[in-house]
Amino acid sequence: MRRAGISFLALGLLATPVMAESFETRLSPSPLTDGTRINITGEGRALVQWDGNILSVSGNFTGLATGVTTAALYDGAGIGIPGPKVFDLTVSPGTSGTIWASIKLTSSQLRELRAGHFYVQIDSEKAPDGNLTGWLLPPYPFAGEGVPVAGPGFLPQFDVPQKPSSR
Amino acid sequence: MKKTFLGTTILAAGLLSAGAIALEQGPFTADQSRAGRALYVANCAACHGPELKGAGEAPPLAGTTFIAAWGNRSSDELYNLVKASMPYGNGNSLDADTYKKIVAYVLAANGAQPGSKALTGGESVKINTIADGKTPPAMAAEERTSARGGEGGAPRPATFYPQTRFGVTVSGTLPDYDPVTDAMLAHPKDGDWLMYRRNYQGWSHSPLNQINAGNVKGLQLAWSWAMNDGGAAQVTPIVHDGIMFLSNTANTVQALDARTGELIWENRIGPAPTRAYGATRSLALYGDKVFVPTTDAKLYALDAKTGKIVWQSVIEDAKEGYSNTGGAIAIHGKILVGLTYCNRYETKHCFISAYDANTGKVAWRFKTIALKGEPGGDTWNNLPDEFRQGAETWIAGTYDPDLNTTYWGTAQSKPWTRASRASGAGATLYANSTLALDPDSGKLKWYYTHAPGENFDLDEVFERVLVDHGASKDVLTIGKVGVLWKLNRVTGQYEDSAQTVFQNVFDKIDPKTGIPTYRKDVLAAKVGDWISSCPGPAGGHDWPATSYDPKTDLMVIPLHQSCVMMRAEPMEKKIGVGGDAGSQKLFEMPGTDGNLGKLAAYNTTTMKALWSFQQKAPFLTGVLTTDGGVGFVGDFDRRVRAFETSTGRTLWQTRLPTSAQGHIVSYAVGGKQYIAIESGLGGGSPVGKPTTLLPGIHHPNNGNGLFVFALPPEN
Repeated sequence: MRRAGISFLALGLLATPVMAESFETRLSPSPLTDGTRINITGEGRALVQWDGNILSVSGNFTGLATGVTTAALYDGAGIGIPGPKVFDLTVSPGTSGTIWASIKLTSSQLRELRAGHFYVQIDSEKAPDGNLTGWLLPPYPFAGEGVPVAGPGFLPQFDVPQKPSSR
Repeated sequence: MKKTFLGTTILAAGLLSAGAIALEQGPFTADQSRAGRALYVANCAACHGPELKGAGEAPPLAGTTFIAAWGNRSSDELYNLVKASMPYGNGNSLDADTYKKIVAYVLAANGAQPGSKALTGGESVKINTIADGKTPPAMAAEERTSARGGEGGAPRPATFYPQTRFGVTVSGTLPDYDPVTDAMLAHPKDGDWLMYRRNYQGWSHSPLNQINAGNVKGLQLAWSWAMNDGGAAQVTPIVHDGIMFLSNTANTVQALDARTGELIWENRIGPAPTRAYGATRSLALYGDKVFVPTTDAKLYALDAKTGKIVWQSVIEDAKEGYSNTGGAIAIHGKILVGLTYCNRYETKHCFISAYDANTGKVAWRFKTIALKGEPGGDTWNNLPDEFRQGAETWIAGTYDPDLNTTYWGTAQSKPWTRASRASGAGATLYANSTLALDPDSGKLKWYYTHAPGENFDLDEVFERVLVDHGASKDVLTIGKVGVLWKLNRVTGQYEDSAQTVFQNVFDKIDPKTGIPTYRKDVLAAKVGDWISSCPGPAGGHDWPATSYDPKTDLMVIPLHQSCVMMRAEPMEKKIGVGGDAGSQKLFEMPGTDGNLGKLAAYNTTTMKALWSFQQKAPFLTGVLTTDGGVGFVGDFDRRVRAFETSTGRTLWQTRLPTSAQGHIVSYAVGGKQYIAIESGLGGGSPVGKPTTLLPGIHHPNNGNGLFVFALPPEN
């Protein structure tokens, strides 16, 4: 009887809809120099939502110097640290357009996403190693230029948790 | 079989040998490279040197170091980089034909042979297929001749600084001058700003309160003053009894009436600015003299009444590239200065030194590099002494009169990366440390290394701020990695730290010792590997200084948010070779939406942020706070804000002719409070990185000047 109760409880938990988790990013020029800046231009935004089963990716971009070639999700070694490609995204052609995909994640990939390690990269004809890049992070509202907020603002220090002050 | 193998080996060797000399013709003509020499001298040689050897932050443009960095890159990337960013801080200011000729000359200086087609800039030719870094003998001889003929070892470029005579160019005499005493420096009058950050504690805080949150919106321009162009201007106006002493490029010093801006005397000490860093960040006052550390690594004492030179002392030989832009501090009749550009392999090393204020005689030197056999000498992976470089002192120190201790920060070791330095896991003492010295003897009391064995040009060299928390006497500092550190300034023990911007360089910071642990891929990186660093070389925090408001216990910190991919370049272990040896690719910091600028106020007791705000443009001035509850800060986009210290709320703002830069000060004359703000150009990463990352923000490439604001008479 007791065992059955636990089972029902477990089933009930499983049946509860999982709250969707959102992650988003601004897509900005990939690492560049003054010498490569002429080919690494543009901007965009990407949003991903995890519904407990499927990761939905959507986004847009504009202002590339040359036509887009590929778009993909990458798994970095940390926030801001490049890593291997893990999923191709569908991308519309041209110097502006949209990206999208529906992806199944493994549990380890989900952990990577939640740790901020996933990023979107769009390549173009003259920027084949990265034209636009954005690290997928939990939504972080921006108060506006010069508008103060309480505290330090958004610090996605997931790999190096901030300790409480020692004093 | 053996014979065949040998034959194969010989054939392979022959092919390799042939490959080493079989360079393809360069994509430029002989006329272009010939004409490019004169254009190079006029526009580039001031920083990169007449022999293209590089100096300071200007990398070599010829030789093995250049080929190591550029061999695998293309001629069009070189052309685009030169065109977009050169002359330094004034990119795209020359016509396209000039850029083509300069690039043709640089390629020729690396052994590229001219061809029949003129360079267009669009050719994508891999540089190591046309150049091997070996300068043709005739060209090298011409460069050496040019080098000998120029002032200070370098020809003066035609377009960099206006022709002028040097010496006392405007004569005048202050009718009365109250000599500056130790007591005045320890307890400055409210209306004075006697040193770099106003007080020995380095607070950049004024006790004046006439301008406050209620009336600051009424600020008006009282007077303005055009300053020398031709180099970086990040200066601090020094004010004593209504007289402003102002440093300019070309080591020019002016005495001005601080109420009206009338010039009283001027001494253009010279030489003309030949580096990206053009004007000392701070003069020092002591007795009846003004002390001027110069870009050619000398220390001058001027008569405060007339500006005439009383004595001069050589800090180090400028012909070897040494310089001083960090300013000076006067303690007990001695003038303490640092030294910069110690990034070449030499038998000499960087040091902090003290000079008798009356005579200029050297009192002591403290070498900031630990050599073999010395304490800390075992932290350099057994490198020979001449290959232990860096640890410059870019910012003048602070001082605790009660403890009779002066506090200085040091820069990272050179070259930047562990792989290029071959320093292994060594801490490379005393780089990136806080040094506590006896100002009378130069003896080291203690040191604390914030980033042992640093790897990304992330200095911890900036201001040391002295704050007491009850009985605890602390020193706070923040460097490029963006960690605000708090140490006990009696013992050097770590007390606390706080992260102010996102960082991915350290995996952890030991909560008891403060010792950081680097990411594993950083420790394993080899020459040629691209490695990520957030923040990048502009910080976190850089030279634009914090301000500490004792009324609120808030430290207001200008912060910068961008990242870098850095690649360690090979560095030949040879005397005279030098540089930073790190290639860079820049990108926005994750989670910032491209807001490079951030201002944040931290309570120094709790180390918690009270408020912060972000904006596109990074801040390029030090912060000023005042007893009126109002703070001031200026940015890359020419904007100056007055903000409420307790909330960060903007109360007033204005725009300057070009980027706001330098150290904002407040002073009073005749009972009236003034705010002096500089517009200025030049400098290193703090202005270079946003120039690359924020192409939509424009400011004029001239316009060094001073703007003095006050409330209108009715207030």
